[in-house]
Amino acid sequence: MSALVEAVQAAVGGHVLAVVPGFGPVTVDVAPEAWHPAVAAAAAAGATYADFLTAYDELGLGFAVVAHLSTRDASDHLLLRTRVPRDRPEVATVVDLHRGLAWHERATHEMFGIGFVGNDDLTPLRTQPALGAHPLRKDFVLAARVARPWPGEKDPAGDTGRARRRTLPPGVPEGWGEQA
Amino acid sequence: MADGGVLLGLPGLGVPGPAAPMRLTVALADGGAATVALHVAGAGLACCSVELVAAALRRPEARAAGLAEAGTETDAVDVLVVSGTCTDVLAPALAALHASLPAGTPVLSFGACASSGGPYWDSYSVTKGVDQVVPVDVYVPGCPPRPEALVDGLRRLPGVAR
Amino acid sequence: MSDAQEPAATDDGGYAVPARSRGVITLVEENCTVCMLCARECPDWCIHIEGHTETLPADEVHRRPRTENVLDRFAIDFSLCLYCGICIEVCPFDALHWSPEHEYAGTSLTDLTHERERLAAWEATAPTEAQRDA
Repeated sequence: MSALVEAVQAAVGGHVLAVVPGFGPVTVDVAPEAWHPAVAAAAAAGATYADFLTAYDELGLGFAVVAHLSTRDASDHLLLRTRVPRDRPEVATVVDLHRGLAWHERATHEMFGIGFVGNDDLTPLRTQPALGAHPLRKDFVLAARVARPWPGEKDPAGDTGRARRRTLPPGVPEGWGEQA
Repeated sequence: MADGGVLLGLPGLGVPGPAAPMRLTVALADGGAATVALHVAGAGLACCSVELVAAALRRPEARAAGLAEAGTETDAVDVLVVSGTCTDVLAPALAALHASLPAGTPVLSFGACASSGGPYWDSYSVTKGVDQVVPVDVYVPGCPPRPEALVDGLRRLPGVAR
Repeated sequence: MSDAQEPAATDDGGYAVPARSRGVITLVEENCTVCMLCARECPDWCIHIEGHTETLPADEVHRRPRTENVLDRFAIDFSLCLYCGICIEVCPFDALHWSPEHEYAGTSLTDLTHERERLAAWEATAPTEAQRDA
């Protein structure tokens, strides 16, 4: 058993929801309130290299926030993961433990709208404030794909006279596109 | 093909960097050939700039010599090569770079992203072609284009093309 | 790949362009059935195809009338193309091939859209099947 996983379990015990083996590092799922203590415990046990922090959209289940932490000599590593609800997507910041994750928290906030409590610099990196949405959420539709006519929509057979549903290009959900 | 190639300037945006000439042999209409020396300022934004470096460092002796010749004369710039993906938040800096060069400096758009947005044509943050921000004289297609394609593009510049 | 396959060095310190390089895409029109798969699969939406159907009457060989797809327009916009090769891989009729030609920069964006005549012309520089498999 990885020393890092043991350290996390020792520190936050009851908040560990699962320990999931994988092809690479073990994933330790913790409750959101144990996020900062779990990262701190891993750091104290030697995981002082923070590779990345990101998130993914789990629709009805909320957003998963994931951090990959490793020892400096890459002898041990783990994925720490937590899940935050969609209607209140926030988790504690860990920039006090890993300054390098400041960029990652900014990017994750920009792309998913997840708040990092205690991090007062979550300035967007590559989107304009006027965008008003979080691009990596699954309900964010790329407007260009809706507006631009899709070359693959054409059919040499043309309109055969039967009512035919307009073929939507990949990435455009039902209900978007030309109305009537 | 390129007759020679001395170190190309690869600036961080806003600083043209060492602008040493890239020499091209151009075929003339009368059947002869001429050698043109171009001072290239490169705005290397993303992956395409790797091919820009490959084009610049073609001659082994140039690698050694060019690195020692560092000049920052903006007056000597003959073309601005924009290579890579330009995001909307970066576009003003690119426009400012172009404005800082001598008036009328031609611009070469290198690669699909710089020409039209390329694979990121549907992105929420990418400028769909730098010609929305700076006037482009030559477009070089590719993802990324070969160094030989850069030379082909440079040959078509106004002032070089015969 | 044996040493004989190593690209030849050129005198400016570069390398000769290998025959299998992804330079430009060529269309062999007689193979195209206007199935539209390439246009649908292109991630950039840069293949523009137009076609129509024609009905051929029954004759002694074909007892029933049949419809056939006819190609009107086949264009690839190389200003968008990311040279992924999905169109070439997905074509069931081997109508699209790579060619190593790469010198087709343009002074305007429209120069970079190649219509069917220009696409067919690139076939002369595309490696043959034997050369591809060598």
